[in-house]
Amino acid sequence: MSAADNPLTRTGEPVTWNFKLLSQNDLGGFGGMGEGMSVQIAKDGRRIIWLAHESAPKNFTAVDVSDPRKPKVVVQTDLPKPYMRSNSLETAGDIMAVAYQTQKVGQQPAGLELFDISVPEKPRSISFFDCSGAHSRGAHQLWFCDGEYVHMASGSPDFKPSHPQDDQFYRCIDVRDPSKPKEIGRWWMPGTSATDNVRPPPRHPLDKGYRAHNTNVYPQRPDRLYLCYIDGGMFVMDIKDKANPKVISHWTNSPPYTGFMHTAVPLFDRKLMLVTDESTENAGKDWPKLIWILDLRDETHPVPIATCPMPPLDAYKDRGGRFGAHNIHENVKLPTAWQSDQIVLGTFFNGGLRAYDISNPYQPKEVGTFVPPPPKGTPVGAVQLNDVFVDEREIVYTVDRHTGGLYILEMDF
Amino acid sequence: MNEIFPSPAAGRFGRRLKRERGAKVPVTVLTGFLGAGKTTLLQRFLKTPDGQGTAVVVNEFGVAGIDDTLVRSSADETVLLGNGCLCCIARSDLQLALRRMVAERERGDLPDFKRIVIETSGLADPSPILQTFATDRALGDAFHVEAVVTVVDAAAGLDTLGWSAEARKQAILADRLVITKTDIAGSTAAPLTERLRALNPGAEILQAVNGALDPSRLTEPARDQRNAFVAEAEHSDGIVSFVLTDKKPMPWPVFARTMDTLMAMRGPDLLRVKGFLNVEGCAGPVVVQFVQHLAPPPVELAQWPDGNRESRVVFITRGVMERQVQGLFEAVKALVLSP
Repeated sequence: MSAADNPLTRTGEPVTWNFKLLSQNDLGGFGGMGEGMSVQIAKDGRRIIWLAHESAPKNFTAVDVSDPRKPKVVVQTDLPKPYMRSNSLETAGDIMAVAYQTQKVGQQPAGLELFDISVPEKPRSISFFDCSGAHSRGAHQLWFCDGEYVHMASGSPDFKPSHPQDDQFYRCIDVRDPSKPKEIGRWWMPGTSATDNVRPPPRHPLDKGYRAHNTNVYPQRPDRLYLCYIDGGMFVMDIKDKANPKVISHWTNSPPYTGFMHTAVPLFDRKLMLVTDESTENAGKDWPKLIWILDLRDETHPVPIATCPMPPLDAYKDRGGRFGAHNIHENVKLPTAWQSDQIVLGTFFNGGLRAYDISNPYQPKEVGTFVPPPPKGTPVGAVQLNDVFVDEREIVYTVDRHTGGLYILEMDF
Repeated sequence: MNEIFPSPAAGRFGRRLKRERGAKVPVTVLTGFLGAGKTTLLQRFLKTPDGQGTAVVVNEFGVAGIDDTLVRSSADETVLLGNGCLCCIARSDLQLALRRMVAERERGDLPDFKRIVIETSGLADPSPILQTFATDRALGDAFHVEAVVTVVDAAAGLDTLGWSAEARKQAILADRLVITKTDIAGSTAAPLTERLRALNPGAEILQAVNGALDPSRLTEPARDQRNAFVAEAEHSDGIVSFVLTDKKPMPWPVFARTMDTLMAMRGPDLLRVKGFLNVEGCAGPVVVQFVQHLAPPPVELAQWPDGNRESRVVFITRGVMERQVQGLFEAVKALVLSP
């Protein structure tokens, strides 16, 4: 069979296996979504999902998903500047934290903003924590689920990286008084600050930077930070003393892989860890970008034991846009988030959303697939599923990076 | 893996599933005698929304090619088994065909099928097909037999059941029996229904006119608990069916060792054993299945489908009687549980 005849390589051939699509909402024509998804139960009982946008002009969108078959946009806000993006947000109760990044160093505003979302229609700014600086693009990603601390990947006015790409490092912000956020701890990979007395790390061929990405800290283990550092790999950190984070262990797959380590999710009861790469290149040029499973029985020595199987490169690389791993459901310890150490759900850009059964972590098995048709108006010709979140009702939310907005699904496996 | 990477969310049998087949591809085995109307039924099904994404596996016997031509025109994918009767020759063909379909789908050479219907030749005994899924690890991991549907012709069915042991076995092993051609059979449907009911008291008996049947009857999994109130029945050819029930939770070693013993002694005579087990320490029912001396791994469901938490396991055997199985369970229980 020629590639042109192959139904899976035909642009837009959708695949739905063991997922049921309940609804899709293009969010008023602003359906290019980032990697912040968080569910709030409002005081009046409505279930609101807060979504970060991939890029300007929109800041964030709140959607009433009480009835997952009929999602309704309740508010959508604008960014003050076209060069800003707010790619990441999280909520804890009625407080929402939003990360602001700029296209270039030195631009403003860049940093962290806290909102009171007790009335979802009217998010009210509580405070802004400035992260702009001559060498800073602000905050790219944040983690916030305990209502007390924001852990984020951000630059800072007082930080000069040894390489311009390495501006965002780990910062812990105390927001117990949300009107006065203050930094209480920070850590960067040795060699990435211009002030370090250590040789800077060698550049990877794609050179995406030695900088922090996901900064996961789980309330059930508040003294641990699971930090991915893009081209620097993954760090398990001791943050018992938040002012002095210490490295417990480090693992990287690159080289020979091509960097951009993205998210580390520990499965505490099973002493396992999931680590994702992010695909950043079109047409599978950085393939394979994977979800890795690590044996974390000894946290000082994480051992990779498997990867989640990907569909064939040939079937996806020419569909348009990126093909490879990115975000996974992170088991955020909130009553509104599903917890599972048996199933992993991840987004793979044009490879869609995929679910894996990892009950045998040595042999992950794909149990569900959702590759929708190219959303209307997409500039790349294919869906680019970017992030996924599952609520405690086991309803799955996934978003497209360009135009598709929000897709709501049921798991059927 | 629970020994190395334990999870409080997993049970003795691994991840608790929402449904018996988990994420496997559902398979419907469509059987019935030559001319009973299997192909008409299948063609109608493939045109319904439920039939979308169905891959059809046909095997030929006798008039080569006719069935295949009919089905290929409407199914998304048809794999033709050319080696004659599934039961005796083509079991390995079936394995090869199904494995090839999985590989081709992986590579993207086949459309993304959601279901498989295996249309057997008229003479096929369904047991070897069930065995295939129980023995072939690759197939058992990928596919799950959801229902065995046997089509019986209202006009000729009664006569066929009288002279053919294969036809009787098809009726006995079915989860659903579909009577076709009632429009042309006149008054013979009632005695046929009665005969089928006697052969297989547990099966749902349905009627199709011109091949029209609620499509869900070809896709919905068979519900084993329907058999709960059926008393032991002895059918023709020495085939016996009965349901073992137990209100008390069963210690797994008692069940496993009883079945090990039974398979060792009378494996070939256990035509089909299937049901829900209330296993001590498990949250949901454990689905157990045996085909002769073979048993796919048990799975635990996340929850019971209804309020009834009784263990209920249907036995279809050749000459293995209820009291014998019951006695074996009692003896093993006494031995396993004695201090």
